[in-house]
Amino acid sequence: MWHWEANPLNGPAVLGMVIGGVVILILTLLVVMYSIYWQRKLIGWIQWRIGPNRVGPFGLLQTAADVIKLLIKEDVVPEKADRAMFLLAPIIAFVPAFTVLAAIPFSAHHVFTANISIGALFYVALSAITIHGVMLGAWASNNKYSLIGGMRSAAQLISYEIPLGLSIVGVVLMAGSINLNDIVEAQAKSGLWYVIPQILGFIVFMIASTAELSRTPFDLPEAESELVAGYHTEYSGFRFAFFMLTEYVYLFAMAGLFATLYLGGWSGPLLPGWLWFAIKAFLYISFQFWLQATMPRMRVDQLMSFSWKVLLPLALVNIVITAVVKAFV
Amino acid sequence: MSLIDEKDQVRTEEMLLNVGPQHPSTHGVFRLVVKISGETIIDAEPVIGYLHRGTEKLAEDLQYTQIIPYTDRLDYLAAMLNNYALCHTVEEALGLEIPERAEYLRVIAMELNRIASHLLFIGTYLLDLGAMSPFLYVFAERERIIQLFNELCGARLTYNYMRIGGVKWDAPPGWLDKVRAFVPHMREQLKMYDDLITGNEIFLNRVRGIGVYDTETALAYGMSGINLRSTGFDWDLRRKKPYSIYDRFDFEIPVGKNGDCFDRYYLHLLEMRESLKIVEQALDQIPESGPVLGKVPKLIRVPAGEYYSGIEGARGELGFYIVSDGKDKPYRMKIRKPSFLNLQLLPKLLRGQNMANLIAILGAVDIVLGEVDA
Amino acid sequence: MSEEGRKPGEAQDQPADATEKPEAPAPAAPVTSAASAAPGASAAEGADKPAAQDVAKPAAKEGADKPAVKPAARPAAAGAGAAAKKTPPPDPRAEAAKEKAEQVKAAIVAQLGEAAVEEVGAAHFVPMLVIRKQDWPAAVDLLRTHPDWRTNYLEFMAGTDYKDKGYIEVVIYLQSTELGHFICLKTRTDRDQAEIPSLFSVFPGVNWEEREIYDLLGVTFTGHPDLRRIMMWDDFKGHPLRKDYNEWDERNA
Repeated sequence: MWHWEANPLNGPAVLGMVIGGVVILILTLLVVMYSIYWQRKLIGWIQWRIGPNRVGPFGLLQTAADVIKLLIKEDVVPEKADRAMFLLAPIIAFVPAFTVLAAIPFSAHHVFTANISIGALFYVALSAITIHGVMLGAWASNNKYSLIGGMRSAAQLISYEIPLGLSIVGVVLMAGSINLNDIVEAQAKSGLWYVIPQILGFIVFMIASTAELSRTPFDLPEAESELVAGYHTEYSGFRFAFFMLTEYVYLFAMAGLFATLYLGGWSGPLLPGWLWFAIKAFLYISFQFWLQATMPRMRVDQLMSFSWKVLLPLALVNIVITAVVKAFV
Repeated sequence: MSLIDEKDQVRTEEMLLNVGPQHPSTHGVFRLVVKISGETIIDAEPVIGYLHRGTEKLAEDLQYTQIIPYTDRLDYLAAMLNNYALCHTVEEALGLEIPERAEYLRVIAMELNRIASHLLFIGTYLLDLGAMSPFLYVFAERERIIQLFNELCGARLTYNYMRIGGVKWDAPPGWLDKVRAFVPHMREQLKMYDDLITGNEIFLNRVRGIGVYDTETALAYGMSGINLRSTGFDWDLRRKKPYSIYDRFDFEIPVGKNGDCFDRYYLHLLEMRESLKIVEQALDQIPESGPVLGKVPKLIRVPAGEYYSGIEGARGELGFYIVSDGKDKPYRMKIRKPSFLNLQLLPKLLRGQNMANLIAILGAVDIVLGEVDA
Repeated sequence: MSEEGRKPGEAQDQPADATEKPEAPAPAAPVTSAASAAPGASAAEGADKPAAQDVAKPAAKEGADKPAVKPAARPAAAGAGAAAKKTPPPDPRAEAAKEKAEQVKAAIVAQLGEAAVEEVGAAHFVPMLVIRKQDWPAAVDLLRTHPDWRTNYLEFMAGTDYKDKGYIEVVIYLQSTELGHFICLKTRTDRDQAEIPSLFSVFPGVNWEEREIYDLLGVTFTGHPDLRRIMMWDDFKGHPLRKDYNEWDERNA
């Protein structure tokens, strides 16, 4: 396996990195495009509808049409908005979302993914930066709904980051490494995916990651029926597209993290590793869409107390149990 | 001594937030100016009138039959009931005799419309609370009812079906059988809604104990319909002041226990069941054939005097008050608009709640702005 | 509008052939119509229910005896109009309402004095009293708390501009949810200086209704906590439901 850490930083190496980044970007955009398509189809079926079926065969190009529409829309910046921050916010939100993908091992013989020894930590740390983009955008919009949405967002994402991080600790304890590659390999070697021994952490992870993604029932930051569109109320055109993209890239990244931590990532019998990874990520993404079609939204105060009074203790209990089992069994 | 110096503290201030007139959850052009501190509502001030079309003024220049299509536009989700409320008042004034078959057709149409209206309430209420699917589920069922109405009177929303002295058309052949087939289907659907929604913990947490008021307050504020019954007070005009042929049916009036948003939601569900019962009984009792419009003069002149009568609309007591000077047009017509009166208590209920509860409480009042603004 | 004022109006719109049946029974309540109207009469259930039904029955019987009238295909109003021309027919249900109105009057007069009640009658089949406007909230409050009436539910409120008679009338329909009384109360005010004490202290639910009447009819409710326009926008001029309102009028420009 080729390791960029082990090689000199010369012309071809840099070119390789750029090409790798572009390939991942294209892959991500494709995944996002078809996540949205799948979301609309799946939710459509759940709701006794057909879903998109007009643009392209089976509506497969619907999202492409939507993206093109967003890109050619007029770029509106509200007059009273803080222009510089307003323009910057979507970028701040998007960059970390894309960067965290670097740590996710898509397959056993990954070419472009960074084999970071602190992979899990890297993910948690970087994803927290997105909150700044969201808050900046909310504040810069100079809109009251945006502001409330941004505040909710900050409160929610920070609150749920903690149980999310703690639930990962359980897996890290089991695998004995923070490197996501090592975690996958540990699972592949033991033949037991961590979803079974880490069932408690798994549940906490599922809930906290849903909240981190701001998806139903935790979609308060953009609670449509309360806050119109939350933090991106004033955004339109491709800036809005950036926020949307951020959301779905995170969905993909979280699906990757989920597969890596609990379902053994690329490991699995018969099928090639990337396919296993894709299936597992797909399961997670579909689960999120299923939730979206099923659940009403939580209330903001219940959301907070749920994180601090239920999830956090659960995650702690999980760590203690894991540690005890690991040490004495 | 305080540990923190006062002037070092971050200054906070209250914020005025316009919820509406364009807002996804105000169910039309309704504006609510809320003063919030953080997410806590300190004060709320409803502003209405954006959809005011002056129906009452317009009616003064219209003959009685001509007013009926205007009533369609009041509570546009339950136009059959509006039609009937007007016709009922005029018929009371004239002392008219309504053919049996017409009475039954009216009751079937009204109860189906009540179901359609309640269905939409459940859909939009859950949509307000962030659940998207129920909205589409109820629309599928509402669509069936609307199709039935379409066959009955040629319109999907503004029916203009009732006439003074009866109904405009008899049901087309086979229509009653379709309604009969619809009843058990709807019953199953209701059971499904109950299973899917009522047991949802997140939903329960959002609506239980929210927006509570007692019977006394509700009566003092002139509330009616489910908003009044949710407090546990049995007041349904179909029972208390039976009009039309409602005294012939066996049905129950579900009442709430706590007067909170959950009760108001659940009563909608229960009332649909009772409406289905009524439809079923009406289908069994309806005469095979017969006239559907009583003998009414071409030009309806209401004897001079004043008349008020209310019916149990989908949202509460829907009444028409007519002052006549003996001409063919009302001298004055005034509508008792249930949503208008039900909405009054809103500022009181909202104080001290947060933004999320605002939506839950407002949604449970079940307003239709066409009616509030008239 | 009072009962007396109704008669001439009724007589003028009879169809020509209505006169062919001068023997139409006085109450002109054909059997089926009386039966279907019975629920209406028993509207205010409870105390007045038996009374209303008792008087309705003989009327129905009388109608049944005369099959000539039974195909009352002809709207009852026409029949009533025909009868009204010959002998003014006291409808038993209206009579009962009037009787009850007298009882209400007695209750009010006992507390507020003879001058408080200006007129007693029936609005269709509902007991109706016209209250002097100074005593308006007091009378409504009295009925609300009076042990015999307890009209705890203000069911309906409206204002009407009687331009020819020179006054604006505010009417409320009170319902007693326990005792079943249904009473119509009215008060009148001058058109030019339209001013009525607010009922807000008695029934907070009249808040918006009074605002609406203020907005559309221009009646000032003294003591109302928040008297602003409700349907029309704030700088709208004029009161559209007044009979002399004209949107082209310069005063409203």
